[in-house]
Amino acid sequence: METTQAFTPEFYTAVMPEMLLFFGLLALMIIPNLGKGTFRIRGTQIRLPWFLGGQRYAWSSNPHLPAWIATLTLTGAFVAVADSLRGGVDAVHIVSSDAESAKELLMINGFSRVFELIFFGALALASFSSMNRLRVEGVGGKLKVDQLYNNRRQADFYILMLTCGLGMSVVALAQDLFVLFIGLELASFSTYVLVAFLKETKAGSEAGMKYFIVGSVASGVGLYGLSMLYLWAGSLQFDVLAATFAVSGTEPLPLIGIGFVLVGFGFKVSAAPFHFAAPDAYAGASSPVAGVLATASKAMGMVGLIRMLLIVAAPDASDGSAVWLVCLGALAALTMTWGNIAALGSTNPKRMLAYSSVAHAGYMLAGLTAVGAWTWDPTFAGNESDAALMVLTAVLFHLLVLVAFKLGAFLVLSILESDGDASRLSSLGGLAKREPLLAFAMFIFMISLAGVPPMAGFLSKLMVIMGIVNVGVGTGAGGLGDFHWVWWLALLMVLNSAVSVFYYLRVAVVMFFDEPEEGREGPLPKGWQVRTSILVCVLATVLIGVFGNSLLEMCRTAAESLTTKW
Amino acid sequence: MQLVGFPVIAGIVLLAFVANTNKTAHEKLNNPIRMASFAFSLGLFTYTTMMFFEVFSDISSAGLSFNTYQFHDSYEWFPALGIHWTVGLDALSFPMVWLTTFLLPVTIIATWHEKNGATYFPTILLMGGALIGVFVSLDLFMFYVFWELTLIPMFFLILNWGGKDRKYASQKFFIYTFTASVVMLLGLVTLYLMQPDQIGSGGKYGTITGRTFDIPTLVDHATAANQNGWFLGESMQKVLFVMLMLGFLVKLPAVPFHTWLPDAHVQAPTGGSMLLAGVMLKMGAYGMFRLPLSMFPHALQHFQLALMIFGMVSLVWGAIVCLGQTNLKKMVAYSSVSHMGVILIGIATMQPMGWAAALFMMFAHGIISPMLFAVCGAFKHHYHSMEIGSMRGMAKHSPWLATSMMFAWMASLGLPLLAGFVAELMMLIALWYFIALEGWSVLWMVGPALVLALTAAYYLWSMQRTIFEGGDETQPPASLHGGPIPDLSREEKIAMLILAAFTILFGVMPWIGLDMMDDYCRTFFEHMISNGIFKGGA
Repeated sequence: METTQAFTPEFYTAVMPEMLLFFGLLALMIIPNLGKGTFRIRGTQIRLPWFLGGQRYAWSSNPHLPAWIATLTLTGAFVAVADSLRGGVDAVHIVSSDAESAKELLMINGFSRVFELIFFGALALASFSSMNRLRVEGVGGKLKVDQLYNNRRQADFYILMLTCGLGMSVVALAQDLFVLFIGLELASFSTYVLVAFLKETKAGSEAGMKYFIVGSVASGVGLYGLSMLYLWAGSLQFDVLAATFAVSGTEPLPLIGIGFVLVGFGFKVSAAPFHFAAPDAYAGASSPVAGVLATASKAMGMVGLIRMLLIVAAPDASDGSAVWLVCLGALAALTMTWGNIAALGSTNPKRMLAYSSVAHAGYMLAGLTAVGAWTWDPTFAGNESDAALMVLTAVLFHLLVLVAFKLGAFLVLSILESDGDASRLSSLGGLAKREPLLAFAMFIFMISLAGVPPMAGFLSKLMVIMGIVNVGVGTGAGGLGDFHWVWWLALLMVLNSAVSVFYYLRVAVVMFFDEPEEGREGPLPKGWQVRTSILVCVLATVLIGVFGNSLLEMCRTAAESLTTKW
Repeated sequence: MQLVGFPVIAGIVLLAFVANTNKTAHEKLNNPIRMASFAFSLGLFTYTTMMFFEVFSDISSAGLSFNTYQFHDSYEWFPALGIHWTVGLDALSFPMVWLTTFLLPVTIIATWHEKNGATYFPTILLMGGALIGVFVSLDLFMFYVFWELTLIPMFFLILNWGGKDRKYASQKFFIYTFTASVVMLLGLVTLYLMQPDQIGSGGKYGTITGRTFDIPTLVDHATAANQNGWFLGESMQKVLFVMLMLGFLVKLPAVPFHTWLPDAHVQAPTGGSMLLAGVMLKMGAYGMFRLPLSMFPHALQHFQLALMIFGMVSLVWGAIVCLGQTNLKKMVAYSSVSHMGVILIGIATMQPMGWAAALFMMFAHGIISPMLFAVCGAFKHHYHSMEIGSMRGMAKHSPWLATSMMFAWMASLGLPLLAGFVAELMMLIALWYFIALEGWSVLWMVGPALVLALTAAYYLWSMQRTIFEGGDETQPPASLHGGPIPDLSREEKIAMLILAAFTILFGVMPWIGLDMMDDYCRTFFEHMISNGIFKGGA
């Protein structure tokens, strides 16, 4: 553990992945603009080349260039994070340069590293496969204005991808409400624009509009909650807030503040009843972007919730359970049930996946509820830190593997979108005849989402159930009557999984049984980038499900580093 | 013992091989893939048969005792959670494994000409691999993984090669059994977490959780705890017993959880039905023996009456429904429900003999019911209809099919000297003995007695309407459109002969399999009695 100020050499080593993103951003702004631009010295005929603007070079005007820069940057950041995770992470605290009372701004440890892994992994896959999704027109020759325009928009898209990643990782690192909010807004605004990026289509602009309005209301409410917390505690620091909360956490002001923050992050994880914009946003956005919303953006919401609920409003040692316990439990139950029931009735695969992602949010919220059921202060009698730790491990693991199969499912839909349309269930019809391997990949993703062994989704769901049961069983050896009520959340989750099989299986049946739509019998458009990404997702889904032990242990170590209490 | 994983690998390799080719190449690949799958399954069968002669033919003299396993192997899988790849065989699981490997080649022969063979036969292999996996697992996690894994190939068998309503049937099958399984999973997880935390003690215990999924260890814990009171406490043991049994009763299936079965069977292709009835239903009974009966004997005593009622209702209800069927395959499916009732009754008697009867019923039904479904499949294949009245006077023009049908029907209704008779007789004796011993009402015998008559009635009646009626003026079914009336193909004949031969073999010399089952049950009860869990007697 080391403490350092910002902009010292240690700081740069610690935030290397973020610095990579920053330089990637600079590169994205500069490189596509390189050209034969010159600068004439006034009053002379001397023209000095300064390389910006003018007629661009063939390589710098290549419309695929921004995508490659973004993908390589994100992959580089991913590798940097993975590499630093390998040997176990030493926590680095970044404090402000204010000499008397240095305030902690960022903390880099195993916990935040795992979230960076999720963000960068999902974004790298999404930007790599967007190369096939955002149409680029041929290079050279005469292009019409709108085609040219389309090519120029490539850079915008990938800049937003990178700012999104930057904002998300700031949320994961933040130790201060202000930094947290900056990161949150940076990521949110990027996603608003990304969702609305298909502005030519009606669905795209509608989705962007809805997502922006609902999202900014949620952000506003969350910000209001943050300001109430500040008003009450007089500090923005998480550790100060936590200490104050332990003393006077049951006053109305912090409770209302926490409630408002719950709304703000509840929108991000698309918890019912704050999920209404999600299906529209997912349906209108291009599929890789929807995949990012369902994985990375959700993980960002979860990390915010974990910080606010488990660190600031931590379960209290005096009566054992957290103040938000019942509230979050009800939210979890509502979210998973609502998500699954709504998914049953949706015929648009993207909306179906959106609702399934609501359901998955419910499972994770149920996990967080279980963490709040008992105090995990080791000084307290009846130490339950092990059980809580297990649940948190499970939630981290679930978020991590969700990238593989949730994003993968969206990528399969993305190929279908390039083929014309993926907004009806029948668009998937006969996929097994058109592209057997693609149908097989989609089948793997579906059963993994449903939690069928031996896929990664089964392992993660099993872990969450196991964690909840572990807390629920607790010390009560006297049978069902002695269980903590969170045990029933596990039962509800199990029943919900059973319900969810209906709509996941329906996709499989349509792919393997139904005939293709009229005029869509042939093979799907090529695009090795998106297909490679799908392959990566399939391999990850199966291999993690079968050989995921080391990842589990990594998540365990990460969870341990969340708080010093366990 | 790792050999049991091979069918899965072989199936995947063959499927991957096929997936990389285009449609016209599929046709060419049918034959090589069929031969490869057949050769592979035959090799597997030889292997398990050799295992039988080396170890299990004289298992009792090899020193059989409760909770010990042959070919025991264990590797770390998810050490963080205490999950191991643990396999082993005992007299409970070996007959099931042998049965699976026996049925694989027979199924392939019987459905030699199935369409899209290039993907069909590897799927059959995958199915076999998953089934074997269920029976050899000695780790709860691994058991559950294979338990669910069996659903996937069967789902595709029904969806891709099934009948007209296959879309509905495959989904119903998957969802129904999956729902029961996840409730069972919650039970398994609760069981796992109720054991004392042994963190840091290494070995089979998880590094994160400090608990183990290892079945032998759990059974040892349970036995030790059951000696003084209830393992995990009284109400907990009852709850877990119910949760686990729910999963198994649906799979078995027992009335009223049986409604997925007729749909799945009627729509499934012949090969799927043969494996479904032959082995997959037995997973339910096997699971009961392996987990709840071994770990929760107190709860078993508590729920004895409930099990008896479930068994009786399944037995009688299945038989009555059979009488009303006009669809040949549906009738056979319901007769399976009825026979599964025999297993439940055998378990509920809580006599070594009743248990041995249940085990032998699993085995015998595993040979007879594939033959029933092979006959149904041939019927459907040749006459394009499953209606009982559609084919008349079959004995005149299709002697092979008529003979096979008669043989299978007779075997299923319990004709002496055939395998089914042994199990039914043992069950009846055990039930009588139990009634006399425990002083239960003799009225409990009414059910089995009634069913003996009902079974004979529905089988004989369907035979009469199919084989014999029609007399001289043979009426070929309308679905043939006046074409020639076909008989069994060469491959089907071979499959029928093999199945019939083994039915006779185990009817005349039941001790080949029965000895080890009987020994298993006796050691189980001796173990329970010597530990003071069951009252003495028997």
